[in-house]
Amino acid sequence: MNEKTEKNIYLPKIAILDRVVDEIKDVRTFYWHFEDPAEQEKFKRFLPGQFAQISIFGVGEFPASLPPSPTEKETFFTIRAVGTCTEALHRMKPGEKFGVRGPYGNGFPMDKYEGKNLVFVAGGIGLIPLRSCIIYAIENRDKYGKIQIFYGARTPAELMYRENLSQWEKQAGIECYLTVDRATDGWQGNVGVVGSLFKKPGVKVSVENTIAFVCGPPIMFRFVIKDLLEMGFSEDNIVSTLERYMKCGVGKCGHCCIGSAYVCVDGPVFTYRQIKKLGEDI
Amino acid sequence: MKARIIESENVMKIVDLLMEKYEVIAPFSGLGRDSFFERVTDENKHLIKLHIPNPYYPPKRFVFPHIERMMRIRAGKDKIDIEPEYNVKPLAIFGIRSCDVAGIGHLDRFFLGGKYRDCYYEIRRKSLFLVNMVCSMPGVDITDECFCLCADTGPAARELFDLQLMDIGDVYLVVAGSMAGEEFLRDPIFKKATQEHVDRRRAILSEVRKQFKDTTSWFSATVRYVSQGAVLEKTWEEIGNRCLECGGCTYVCPACTCFTVSDRKSANGEVERVRIWDSCALGGFTRMAGGFNPRKAVHDRRNRRFYRKLAHYFIQRELSMACVGCGRCAAVCHGDVGMPAVVEMIRRATVQVEAK
Repeated sequence: MNEKTEKNIYLPKIAILDRVVDEIKDVRTFYWHFEDPAEQEKFKRFLPGQFAQISIFGVGEFPASLPPSPTEKETFFTIRAVGTCTEALHRMKPGEKFGVRGPYGNGFPMDKYEGKNLVFVAGGIGLIPLRSCIIYAIENRDKYGKIQIFYGARTPAELMYRENLSQWEKQAGIECYLTVDRATDGWQGNVGVVGSLFKKPGVKVSVENTIAFVCGPPIMFRFVIKDLLEMGFSEDNIVSTLERYMKCGVGKCGHCCIGSAYVCVDGPVFTYRQIKKLGEDI
Repeated sequence: MKARIIESENVMKIVDLLMEKYEVIAPFSGLGRDSFFERVTDENKHLIKLHIPNPYYPPKRFVFPHIERMMRIRAGKDKIDIEPEYNVKPLAIFGIRSCDVAGIGHLDRFFLGGKYRDCYYEIRRKSLFLVNMVCSMPGVDITDECFCLCADTGPAARELFDLQLMDIGDVYLVVAGSMAGEEFLRDPIFKKATQEHVDRRRAILSEVRKQFKDTTSWFSATVRYVSQGAVLEKTWEEIGNRCLECGGCTYVCPACTCFTVSDRKSANGEVERVRIWDSCALGGFTRMAGGFNPRKAVHDRRNRRFYRKLAHYFIQRELSMACVGCGRCAAVCHGDVGMPAVVEMIRRATVQVEAK
């Protein structure tokens, strides 16, 4: 590989698909590894909240958040089939090859949050980017205070990462609350929007010295932010990760530019105070 | 500055000299107002024109092509080969105007600055030789739309060129702006300039500066209003209402940098990944898979374009405004919302609010 190629920020590295796991309807988790072990080593230094560009050769490239924690062994993406590229990925079989480049973006400053309580609020597939920080925080349990997880989906069948959820619910030292908008047969848990969990008897959302991670559909985002601000969270202690149409991931193509920020290089993680200033729909 | 002169009848000899080392691009005249940059060959060389209106299609494309192949991807049975494609052909642009030199300066800071360097741009830029031509003929070089004076990029570029030419009557005054330019000036076709030549250049330039329209000198105030968010929603809507969403302004802009990336299958089963200029004026620019578009209304997108170009934040980031005052957007816009018009609209509307 010559020097030029080394410096080419647009060049994807070959990845091999290991296995595919169905999560919920239209959403699958793709386990993969780089063909070149050196690339795998380099890539594994990513931070929770960063993202990568996935290439399906002949179809195109798209950004995807990284659901694994860097403390985990395997690398994987969880992707909803929603457009041409993601649908093409969904058609791929284990052993097939695609391209990955990254990691990109700022990620959550997990080291800055050491000593603080962490509140995770996720809706639907908003759990994908937050999964990384949750696992990371659990793996580094002694570095953080209270860990509370609030997660909601439309129906029980649409709850993501089922295995992780039941583990978190059982695990000592972690509070994990689940809710669904509509209960179906056999659902014993809470029914209502994510915010309804905050007011449940026995639940005390930590506010002092706490960082709230919020990720989910726009409507959920708006209501949860309102709840958190009412509880007394400062705008600096609410963090989220944004998604935008992106072509390059490295601050050049211009598509993800909102306000005075490029989501790809200045984000995708922003505090609510920053998000408010950007001046676009979330 | 060691100035040189070359007789007017010899100025095209510079092109001959350039052609020994470079593929040369130069301005040509078409029908009516039309003018264009084109590759110079022995056949068309005699048609090169220095004193013509600046071509609408900017020379930006020689460092940042409209469509550029980034890599070829060959998928074999169990191997995928990705072969990046770089253009390393040395290129010289003869007769590039000062505004367009500033445009390339802006691209330099954008593509080569920040955390990541764009290697495709870098490779083209490294082998580029710029022969800047100072605009000195009002009505010919300088048109009604020109406002480089206000963007502080012209009529004579102060940096980033290798050579700069200025027509001062019977001779052209030539100065070098780089080591490569100095080297070039050693050729015996260039003679030493006298103090009289340098004085004449200064006199002509100060006369030319008076020939620009005065309504465009409101940039700094507009930058302030845009940066402070003091522009009324109503004003953005008004600008948006006039926009036909054709993207013309962005395609002729020497400082616009947005692109999209596309995979194309070629006949032999290869895939080529290309990048193509994109435009924030177009509705699909920010639309995500699934249909959600955070930037819906056209005035949102106009706001976006002018914010990107005029906000102090970005000027600080790139150390220059993403507008070089060439006036092309004003010339091509069907809705008359090119940069000078928008600067004026924002200034007027905001003045009205202040006066209340």
